[in-house]
Amino acid sequence: MANSLRLYLTCIRNTLEAAMCLQNFPCQEVERHNKPEVELKTSPELLLNPVLICRNEAEKCLIETSINSLRISLKVKQADELENILTKKFLRFLSMRAEAFQVLRRKPVQGYDISFLITNYHCEEMQKHKLIDFIVQFMEDIDKEISELKLSVNTRGRIVATEFLKQFI
Amino acid sequence: MAALSVHQFAQCITCHAWSPDHSMVAFCPNNNEVHIYKLLEEKWEKIHVLQKHDQIVSGIDWSIRSNKIVTVSHDRNSYVWSKETTEWVPTLVILRLNRAALCVQWSPKENKFAVGSGAKTVCICYYEQENNWWVSKLIRKRHDSSVTSVAWHPNNIFLATTSTDGKCRVFSTFIKGVDTRDSTGSSSDSKFGEQIMQLDLSLSWAFGMKWSPSGNTLAYVGHNSMIYFVDDVGPSPSAQNVAFRDLPLRDVLFISERMLIGVGFDCNPMIFIADEIGLWSFLRFLDERKTASASAKYGSQFSETFGKFYGQSKYGTSNDTLESSRTRGGAHENCITSIVSLKKVGDASATSFSTSGLDGKIVIWDLQKQQDLEEFL
Repeated sequence: MANSLRLYLTCIRNTLEAAMCLQNFPCQEVERHNKPEVELKTSPELLLNPVLICRNEAEKCLIETSINSLRISLKVKQADELENILTKKFLRFLSMRAEAFQVLRRKPVQGYDISFLITNYHCEEMQKHKLIDFIVQFMEDIDKEISELKLSVNTRGRIVATEFLKQFI
Repeated sequence: MAALSVHQFAQCITCHAWSPDHSMVAFCPNNNEVHIYKLLEEKWEKIHVLQKHDQIVSGIDWSIRSNKIVTVSHDRNSYVWSKETTEWVPTLVILRLNRAALCVQWSPKENKFAVGSGAKTVCICYYEQENNWWVSKLIRKRHDSSVTSVAWHPNNIFLATTSTDGKCRVFSTFIKGVDTRDSTGSSSDSKFGEQIMQLDLSLSWAFGMKWSPSGNTLAYVGHNSMIYFVDDVGPSPSAQNVAFRDLPLRDVLFISERMLIGVGFDCNPMIFIADEIGLWSFLRFLDERKTASASAKYGSQFSETFGKFYGQSKYGTSNDTLESSRTRGGAHENCITSIVSLKKVGDASATSFSTSGLDGKIVIWDLQKQQDLEEFL
């Protein structure tokens, strides 16, 4: 793993470690409701300052925290058009299966490729460090997965082209 | 080891309280019920389930002398349970709240209790003989956000509150017909709801708060990993801020005038002590922590992560991540949310206390055999 990626992930891990201090907190505005404050943003005093961690212009991570929820938005590196379309398709595939991941948000925050929403209920039923491990693991794997997909698309393109051109020999 | 015993009662515990003789414990297993367990022949048995609330129970307090349990819930209601022969009978409290109730505490004389709420108000409840219910008087328009914690001064009149606007306030709760004038001592001129003091020390939300046994010192915690000690509560208070390097605290408990235990997101109780001139500082963690070596095995493809996620996060089995976070080897595995003193009736101070947390455990701690702490007890 590249050294800069390690630093980037360590920074995110430490930030999540400090940010994931959530608790059950009922809504102050609506009676008998309990909603993630980071999504509603009705009471400014219940939100903390968002943290933006950038590796470079193309890769960044935004961590927004509130009293009972935490939102992590990722922007994945996209070097060319092929990577762009692969990322889009792949993350769409994951987002559509968001309920299987529990912490995945169905729609990314504007300007980002994929978002996670962690509430106090997730912290109650799952272990905090495993949740953080999952997010970091996800970020680690996504680049690898995209470049593998890109390779296989290229390989397949080459095979198809070879097969197709064989008939003209 | 400082932890005397560890009991796994439920998946997750929001709050707990002990009966006056400590033979029974009442707790909320993160739902709308309150379970009461009793120690029968070295084993904890569930003997009662209090079902009246319809949302999560956020606060429980068990009065020492009158043996009554008060519960508050996010459904805006509160009940006072009193034991009649074998059953617990609820009495409705007219809270007049339109938002969730968050915390509750009996006053030292047990003729009143205070409820903090998400409606930015505090209710002071007292019993009305003629109607046979508990009525409340509200302290309104003083808080700018939810009231997260309430604490009674030993004089039965002063009530301190913390709220998510980061402020700590002290009010007078003198109620005619309930309190007598002479019990207030020097501050007998204060009316109900009068604000004695407001402290604006924390930049973030303020949580758990307690008075020292004598009522001279007030301690509360901020979400910015700070703890605040306030002396000389009144018109000219003096405060001390103590910052520490670990995750924020949720609740505190005074063991003596010179020692305080804080619990919170670090899953391990922290000991704070005051030196001869009254300067507070962090001493150490109470629980020894075993350091587990992080396994350095490379992770796998998405499809595997996808499947593993459930198993891993929920039950914490094997992990294959590159650099896994430190694993906790202490008595608690998740955030500790409440700490309750195990003080017997008539005792000046107690050296044992219990903590409960999101991991569903209630741990009983004792400070008696800790040599470095003896001089502070």
